[in-house]
Amino acid sequence: MNQYADRLSATPQPLLERPASRPVQFPLGVHGQGAGHGLPARLTREADLPGIVVDAHPPRRVRRHIARAGFSLAVLAGLWVALTGGTAQGWMIGGPAILAATALIFLYPAPPRWRLSPVGALRFGPWFALRLLLGALDVARRALGRRPRLAPGCRVFRTRLPEGAPRLLFANVITLLPGTLTAGLHDELLLIHMLDTDADLEAQLRPLEARVAALFRLRTVPPHLALENTP
Amino acid sequence: MSIELLALVLIAAGAAFFVVGTIGLLRFPDTLCRLHALTKADGLGLGLTCLGVALLVGSVGEMLRILLIWGLVAVSSAVSGHLIAGHVLRSNAPVRGR
Repeated sequence: MNQYADRLSATPQPLLERPASRPVQFPLGVHGQGAGHGLPARLTREADLPGIVVDAHPPRRVRRHIARAGFSLAVLAGLWVALTGGTAQGWMIGGPAILAATALIFLYPAPPRWRLSPVGALRFGPWFALRLLLGALDVARRALGRRPRLAPGCRVFRTRLPEGAPRLLFANVITLLPGTLTAGLHDELLLIHMLDTDADLEAQLRPLEARVAALFRLRTVPPHLALENTP
Repeated sequence: MSIELLALVLIAAGAAFFVVGTIGLLRFPDTLCRLHALTKADGLGLGLTCLGVALLVGSVGEMLRILLIWGLVAVSSAVSGHLIAGHVLRSNAPVRGR
């Protein structure tokens, strides 16, 4: 580590220049905060490391790819067996489909890791089932009315959920809630189509957002988003 | 007997929601509103039908398989609804109250 000492002292340290109230967002793939070897956390990012260290990384990246492919193959094969019973003939279709799907996954960057909370899931299930019922009854009421009662339009909603699985689940569940449908997803902004634009979108979606956060064990809202929380 | 009756009621209710979804599809004014009818009413319709069928099958494995099918259809209906809505907004299709 000593041979990089001159480099380290010459490198600006953006970490220390940030106001204390705004925690630094670490780029994906950084584990720990430069712990152990006394380096500023920012410098452990691959891009900041001297060339010789970066060269040592590919094997780990390859291992990560293999783990990702293996996980995908296992999940898809499990689904296939569950759906078809796993007969030999079925694999003639299922095998290529699973391989193709696994290859497709690598067209997209690896999503951030997530974990589910069992308690959150138990609370989310019945709540979601009830919303599904209310959503369908709402559509039924409008469809069967003498004149469909509609005041459709689009609204933008800024979510505080992090990208990846939480945000995607949020977007998809919105579509199954009464009167709302996700028409577009651009980073933290969701374009919501509403059957009745007089309804209070904020009051409808914030509770859902909180439940999705609880489901994924996201205890606190990321502070940098909470500051610019939109109406 | 009573379980079969309950299953019958659930399946009938599921079919009714499919019919309502189709009525909405026909009566709602534009593509986006029609998507509401399909994603919500048909989603619940399939859910009720699956629940009814799951009550009728004997084994737990079959029940889980039916629930899995419902889950996959629910996800694909939400995702395809999202894709269709995105396409509608990018195209020049008439949309009310844009």
